[in-house]
Amino acid sequence: MAYIAMATGFILILIGLFGALTNRNILRMIVAFTVADTGVNMVIVAIGYMHGRTAPILDVAVSAAEAAARIIDPVPQALVLTAIVIGVGVTALMLAYTYKLYEKKRTLDIAQFTELKW
Amino acid sequence: MVNALYIIVAALTAAFLLGMLKEERRATAYAITLATLAFMTWISVSWVWAFAQEGAAPVEIFTAGAVPPFAINLRMALPEAALTLMVNLSGLLAAIYMKDSLFRLGRSAMAVFLVAVMAYCGIIMTRDIFNLFVFFELVAISTAGLVLLSEDERALSAGFKYLIVSQVISIFLLLGIVFAYHATGTLNIDGMANASLGLLAGGTISFFMMFIALVAELKPFPANGWALDIYESAHPSYSALFSAAAGTASLYAVDKLLLIGGAEWLPMATGIGIVTFIASSLLALPQTNDRRQLGYSSIAQMGLVLVVLGQRDILGDSTPYIAFGLLVSHAVAKAGLYWISGLVAGRELTDWAALRGHPLLIFAFVSFIGMLSGLPPFPSFYAKWELVRFLAGEGRIALLALILFGALVEAGYLFRWFGYIMKRAAPAEPISCTPHQVTAVVAAVAAGWALGYLWGDLSGRSNLLLVLPLLFALSFLLLDWLPAWVKNTLAIAGMLAFFAFTFAEYDPLRLIFAVIILVGGAIILLASYDAHGRRVGFYPAAMLMYAGLAMLIRATASFDFFAAWEILTVGSYFLILRGKQSEPHALSYIIFSLGGAFLILTGFALAAQGAPQFDIASLSHLTAPLAPWVFILLAVGFMTKTAAIGLHIWLPGAHGEAETDVSPMVSGILLKAGLYGLFVLLMTMGKQQLYGVELTHVMLWIAALSALLGNLMAIFEEDAKRLLAYSSIGQMGYALFGLALMNHLGWLMALMFVINHYIYKSMLFLAAGGVAKRTGTRDMYKMGGLITLMPFSFIAVLIGIIAVSGVPPLSGFGGRWIFYNAILSTDYRLPLIITFFAGPIAFLYLFRLIHTIFLGQLKDEHRKIKEAPFWIVLPQMIYVALLMVVAIFPGIVLRRVDTYLNQFFPEGGLNWEGLEISSNYGYWNPVAIMIVVCVIFGTLFAWLLFVNRKAQKVKQFNIGFSAERPYRPETTHFAWNFFAPYRKALGFLVQPFVTRFWGALTDFLHTGADLSRRLYNGNGQTYAFHFIAFVIIVFFVRMGV
Amino acid sequence: MVKSFSVLVLLLGIGAMFAALLLGYVPDSELNQTARYYADKTASETGAANIVAAIVVTYRGLDTLGEVTVLFLSAAIVGLVLASGHQQGKMRHAQPPSGELLVIGVRLLVPLILLLGVYVFINGHLTPGGGFQGGAILASAMLLLLLGDPLRTFSHKLIAIVESISGLVFVGMGILGIFYAGGFLDNRVLPLGTLGEVFSAGAIPIIYSFVGLKVGAEFSSMLANLSGTEEL
Repeated sequence: MAYIAMATGFILILIGLFGALTNRNILRMIVAFTVADTGVNMVIVAIGYMHGRTAPILDVAVSAAEAAARIIDPVPQALVLTAIVIGVGVTALMLAYTYKLYEKKRTLDIAQFTELKW
Repeated sequence: MVNALYIIVAALTAAFLLGMLKEERRATAYAITLATLAFMTWISVSWVWAFAQEGAAPVEIFTAGAVPPFAINLRMALPEAALTLMVNLSGLLAAIYMKDSLFRLGRSAMAVFLVAVMAYCGIIMTRDIFNLFVFFELVAISTAGLVLLSEDERALSAGFKYLIVSQVISIFLLLGIVFAYHATGTLNIDGMANASLGLLAGGTISFFMMFIALVAELKPFPANGWALDIYESAHPSYSALFSAAAGTASLYAVDKLLLIGGAEWLPMATGIGIVTFIASSLLALPQTNDRRQLGYSSIAQMGLVLVVLGQRDILGDSTPYIAFGLLVSHAVAKAGLYWISGLVAGRELTDWAALRGHPLLIFAFVSFIGMLSGLPPFPSFYAKWELVRFLAGEGRIALLALILFGALVEAGYLFRWFGYIMKRAAPAEPISCTPHQVTAVVAAVAAGWALGYLWGDLSGRSNLLLVLPLLFALSFLLLDWLPAWVKNTLAIAGMLAFFAFTFAEYDPLRLIFAVIILVGGAIILLASYDAHGRRVGFYPAAMLMYAGLAMLIRATASFDFFAAWEILTVGSYFLILRGKQSEPHALSYIIFSLGGAFLILTGFALAAQGAPQFDIASLSHLTAPLAPWVFILLAVGFMTKTAAIGLHIWLPGAHGEAETDVSPMVSGILLKAGLYGLFVLLMTMGKQQLYGVELTHVMLWIAALSALLGNLMAIFEEDAKRLLAYSSIGQMGYALFGLALMNHLGWLMALMFVINHYIYKSMLFLAAGGVAKRTGTRDMYKMGGLITLMPFSFIAVLIGIIAVSGVPPLSGFGGRWIFYNAILSTDYRLPLIITFFAGPIAFLYLFRLIHTIFLGQLKDEHRKIKEAPFWIVLPQMIYVALLMVVAIFPGIVLRRVDTYLNQFFPEGGLNWEGLEISSNYGYWNPVAIMIVVCVIFGTLFAWLLFVNRKAQKVKQFNIGFSAERPYRPETTHFAWNFFAPYRKALGFLVQPFVTRFWGALTDFLHTGADLSRRLYNGNGQTYAFHFIAFVIIVFFVRMGV
Repeated sequence: MVKSFSVLVLLLGIGAMFAALLLGYVPDSELNQTARYYADKTASETGAANIVAAIVVTYRGLDTLGEVTVLFLSAAIVGLVLASGHQQGKMRHAQPPSGELLVIGVRLLVPLILLLGVYVFINGHLTPGGGFQGGAILASAMLLLLLGDPLRTFSHKLIAIVESISGLVFVGMGILGIFYAGGFLDNRVLPLGTLGEVFSAGAIPIIYSFVGLKVGAEFSSMLANLSGTEEL
């Protein structure tokens, strides 16, 4: 199970990177990055999974005493929370920049923004 | 002490508070921002104080009431305290500087700024790898936001490109962190280090991903296009912060990561670092945009410090001293330069010529490029010394050579820039500065000098800022507002006083040099009384050069010697740059000199074999196979200063174009520094062999060729001062020849040369300068017939050329006599012939000098000129007197030296009996010769006067000619192309091969750099591609190795 | 064409790296030391039933603080970026009125969504969810409002105040932890209560609630800024 999720995550990352590196339209690049970020998050979540165990919540099903034997690794879940939020923040920022860039040059082609070079 | 966590807490509280303020209350918001930054700085200061002065122990700061690895922890120790101090202080100064921009954008921008500074501190203090990632993301976002502070519209696209690349970086970082967590079971850096990540499954790859992501933040070549765009377009104060703080924090993060990876990853860090350093230094060469060039320089410096981190295995406990020294010099200098760039209106390098009217800014600029080039007394100088000695001690010569090459290139373009500032036309727009901006710049300069003092104290050797000659020179910076004559008097008094105090300490050899440098320098300074006004900048430069020279002859340890060498190089560069047309010549001078200095540095480091420094006298203890290499390195280094053939192309321009009173200084005194070094070298190391080749024999050949070619090139010169400069090359060849003979008389002759050459070259340069002042030109074919109008100059030149040519009765003859004696006792025949040949050739140009200037026909425009100014003539007359004295009583100078030399060469000395001197081959009686010559001269002169009474006077224009009017008037002047027949016969010997060689080398570097920089084509997607390609290449190199 | 090919080659290299990681990956059979500690000690040390919430808010609270700051920065910068062209109150293009289904649906759903969001972050320490998730749900309600009426504006002042106060409360709770408990962001400044109650786990529900409000406010601010941009 973990292997499937991890492999999917890696494939998503590769697809995302491919999209980001080959599409010239900025909005498509941003979407591709979102895909890649999702892939990364999938991989992170997949790391913590242990076969036959359940969520790290202490309630009727899992009491505090038997937690260590019953739950999966909670740390990657905490990490992925942070990672998702950071990804959202960066995406929002990139979208705002895209708007401003379009406002200036009326194009979404990344190859047109090369005034700074060499 | 305050819990260091408050650095982060305070910043966040203030940032959130700012969100609550009304948009209009900008002043309040700004005040809160500054207060918070000041508070953060104060915390760092108190911790640095605690660690440095009170010896406090490092503190682990726990959070959440749990211990690591179950909660995040921060650390505060000396490195963290110092680094956060750097970050906070630069943040505070940057915020002060960009008050206007912050006001324009409002409280949101100020909040982002605060968070940025806090994030850098967080990176430095945290011990948890995921926390590191979060802080890095904060940095990324705030960077993207803060580029908006710029007034440059292109900053937007720069920020966007940065976001693209940082997305890719964070992908790798996250994956690496998570897999590393899976392997080790902890997210704590120290915990991961203990778990030996490399041995665990997937450990290498996950470490590699984390490593490469953090290294990418350091902007390695070629994955750094985005950084250059930010540097170029962002607000200069933000670029200052970005350069100083971001680089610092990222470097420390990489250092922490290397803890996890272990020693096997150090070579990788070194490799990436050195490639970045060299590539960025080279790519900076063709830049014309000032901020972009500073960006390349920043990236290069980061690469250099990465190399230092990668050499941790041999540097051990000295790593912080070296890394910090380089880092802090770079941070202060780069921030300062960016802040100055905000004051200059244009963006071309040449637009900085607007700085010329502001001495304070010039001083700041010079301090900053000194810090970046590793010149004394700044921290990077001490750091460089330490780094080189460790590398040489461990035999990592290739790395050392690469580092020094990169450093030379960097110094090259920085000094080229300084040349633009001083020499190019000032642009239309002047400097605009507000008090805020000036505060930041001044603070940076003060910090740089204070840190230089601190590093000197920490070095365990002499603190250069406490050495008297250097302090004396620096005091002239403060006194620069005084009129020139006051400073001149102070300078002369100071030099003579120093000589009087230290007189007893010198052995006879050094005494000669001391007399020439201090007393001789004072005499030349007499000519400077001729100047009017304040002559800003002359005295600090000149005194710096003399300070370096004075320190040089007193140095017994290698470190002091090298420091003195660099000081005199820098001082003389500033002096030479003052000439009107000197810009390219001064640049080639400093590059050759620094190149030579680096060779000397390497030689000393190799000789030290890992020790911090050594006594120069112990060079004699060196044995093969090390000794010949050290000999070669030191010898070539010294020969760049004496302008031996092959390394001579800077001299004619530098000495020829220099000011009237500067040429004697550099030609008469400065060249002797190289000779002094060679003396010391040969005294201690003696003869050396490399692969069966006798090295002093090679030196002999070089000397002979220098003598011949230098004199040959002189005879074809039209410019009087250039002629004298080429003559210096030839004369130095003679002196070198004497040294290389390695016998008693050869050395005696060399020493005699040192004295004689100083006297007559200074005299000739002053005379030429005086004539040039009055006639307005240096071209000899435009002069003529000046004997009646400038009699004193004529006498000086006459005596001078008699002395130079070696004709009796003057001291040159004595030198020749000793020289022939010296050669006869050896069996080097061919060099001997070449050097003999050089003698009459020298006479050719000397004759030209006097004939074309003083004899012949007086030109119309020169009918009314007066004798050269009094103060320029006075030293010349002193020299004439001195020459006479030395000619008649050479024993005054030579006797003690002769005895002193007995300890090196027991045989072959001269016998001094009363007024007569004899050697194995003959005898010489100076007094008798003088009397004989005077009698003969007097008789002939009297007869000539008698015969002349019946002569018919012919007026100047009593000539007639017919036919066409020439198109180039100079072709009819007899003095133009004076030695045309010789040029036809011997001209092939003076083809500018060497000039073409060096020119081709620099062209190659420039063209290569220009082509390579097309890599950065401005497309953000391409930059992301570069980064991924970089990752793949490094990965496969790592796997393959 | 060349570009796609070279990108493919690069990604093959990266793919090789990933494959190596994937093939070398062996899932744990037992919890590692960190996870084990959390599994055993969370209930007694923090009193929270949701272990992930305890980690996020307390044990790794500094990360969360950083994350919250990331959002704060993003919202602020989006505001900065878009403000320079943004003209308040300008005549916007007249939009066709939203469909009646949408308008009624919005009126019905928004309160429910808001309620869900508030529930999620208040119960963050007991059930899956927490401040970020709740905040995102709140923001989605705002988005629905915006979709229903594109000309609607939110009060930026209110959003700013909510953001700042929430942030200050978060930091303030953390500082209280230094003085009254074990360290920065220790949640034991408030009584731990009994496991499974709403009012338990010390400061976690308070912090998480404010985080939820902050996140909701920031996302709304970003949405509002992006929505307020002109049609180009």
